[in-house]
Amino acid sequence: MNWPDLSMGGYGFYVWGSYLFSLIAIVWEVVSLKQRKKALVKQQQSSKPVPTPVLRGSINETTS
Amino acid sequence: MNIYKYASPASFYPLAGKLIPWFAIPAALLFATGLFVGFFIAPTDFQQGDAYRIIFIHVPAAWMGMFLYILMAFYAGIGWAFNARLSSMMASSLAITGAMFTAISLVTGALWGKPTWGTWWVWDARMTSTLILLFLYIGFISLQAAIDDPRRADRAGAILALVGVINVPIIYFSVQWWNTLHQGATIRILQKPTIRGSMLAALLIMLAACWLYSVAVVLIRLRCIILEREQNASRFAEVGV
Repeated sequence: MNWPDLSMGGYGFYVWGSYLFSLIAIVWEVVSLKQRKKALVKQQQSSKPVPTPVLRGSINETTS
Repeated sequence: MNIYKYASPASFYPLAGKLIPWFAIPAALLFATGLFVGFFIAPTDFQQGDAYRIIFIHVPAAWMGMFLYILMAFYAGIGWAFNARLSSMMASSLAITGAMFTAISLVTGALWGKPTWGTWWVWDARMTSTLILLFLYIGFISLQAAIDDPRRADRAGAILALVGVINVPIIYFSVQWWNTLHQGATIRILQKPTIRGSMLAALLIMLAACWLYSVAVVLIRLRCIILEREQNASRFAEVGV
């Protein structure tokens, strides 16, 4: 194992720039996916169908 | 076990949820290992100095951009030919990750080109065809977003994706067919690779990491797409995200 030269022999801007851009792209993808998921959960909670116990109760009333 | 049942979005949804950590965790570990080997073990190149270390992200990203496009076209085609909803959803899910990797390969390529060739960009065969690949991805995503009916959007996207597949062999063989500034392939299937063992190891580990990462994010996005499209199906109300 050898410690890398942080200046990359003068190519630091290009090497670190490449990895920084890739990191930003990956983080952007993961964060935007998380937000998409969050929005879906919210939407689902706000548009819940008629609670099933009520329906079941009414069915029981008519059938018994 | 009947594996065909997983062709239905409702059955695939929970399976995808269980599979995600099996790809996401190894992806993170392999990214760390690949970067460690690439920066701490692989030696400095005698010609390019440390600038060559861009290869560990540039080449896997470029490969992923091409592979994911072929996969996307394959799933879009299956979805179109057999009217398989899940396949079409898979194609939509693959498009964004493929576009992201293609963008990474173009940007890292420019950052590599400046110090080694003296220019950020030239309109040579490989770079131009890779830029077209990015436009094909963007076209696929925009076309699907522009059509309200998801099944119609799937069909239109499938035609675009299948026509665009011709671009992938053009990218791959561009360095042989045309006289280009871009170097030839470093790793060939039938011949010995032209780089040192530790460099090759770092490259392959990073490629595996990119694969696993892609599977994980594509599955997460696929679950979102299933929920968005099948919101009215009552069983999903109980499953949650």
